[in-house]
Amino acid sequence: MSAPAPALAKPQRPAVIVRLADVGVILASLSLIFGLLVVFFPVSFPRIIVISWQRGYLVLVMMALTLVLDTFLYLRISYLRSSKPTVLVAACLGSLPIIIVGGLSFLLESTVTQTLSLDLPNLQARVNEEILAHTYLGLVSAVFLPFLVIRLLQQFKPKS
Amino acid sequence: MSIKWLLWIGLYLVMGVLVPWATALSWAHQHGTELRPRPRQLFQRGELGLVGLVVVISVIWNLLQSQFMPQTIAMAAVLLAMIGTMSGDVWIETYCRQSTGTSCNDERTWRDSRNLAFLVFSMAIVVEILLDRFAKVAAL
Repeated sequence: MSAPAPALAKPQRPAVIVRLADVGVILASLSLIFGLLVVFFPVSFPRIIVISWQRGYLVLVMMALTLVLDTFLYLRISYLRSSKPTVLVAACLGSLPIIIVGGLSFLLESTVTQTLSLDLPNLQARVNEEILAHTYLGLVSAVFLPFLVIRLLQQFKPKS
Repeated sequence: MSIKWLLWIGLYLVMGVLVPWATALSWAHQHGTELRPRPRQLFQRGELGLVGLVVVISVIWNLLQSQFMPQTIAMAAVLLAMIGTMSGDVWIETYCRQSTGTSCNDERTWRDSRNLAFLVFSMAIVVEILLDRFAKVAAL
């Protein structure tokens, strides 16, 4: 069997190279939206978050939101660079946001428990502020950290 | 809600971006040269990443002085430090590339530093808003 003619062979698309600047703009926009919601709805927006946390929905919503955002970002980067998405990176992006949000929810639990154990005035309002801060930091971490891991792992890839 | 955080971020934008630009224009005027640098030209070697790093240091300092629980402070400080380091890294990488004669794309350097500085500034704004809210709650 003869080898395919060079003109007929499909050009190999390179694997996606992730740069943190690609993630930066979307994450900054998400951050600003969160900030604007806190500024313009200083009571109702934090209350929605606290009630979601009390009912146990907050972690699930954050997992779904960050997973969708990470997938969208990765596909957008691969489309813009005309590169081929790889299974390893997709698996990394599929698992890391869930692990991060899950881990940070345990941290939030311990923070709330520790706050309630202290003898401080205005305890409920302090707990609500802690939940609001953790929600914001959890969202940013779950979007940024998977891409940071991928970016750092790219350093070990042999250069062609 | 107070606008303290808005003044705080405005101070950084003015001192970190507008003042260096105005100084360059003033220098050009004083020396009678045709130099009219745009902010993009002034920060084309990734210096905005360095401005981002300075902003992050200031936010971490404010966090350490807040009454948030230690877990929250640690989490926010580590996250900000990582993002600030990656922002400053743009400037370092460009310096290393230019010093060693390795290929360096000015367009990419400007885009990377601008995007990461935007991320740092937006995160700094939100963290300052949260600190402002918490300070009010703690003072009640």
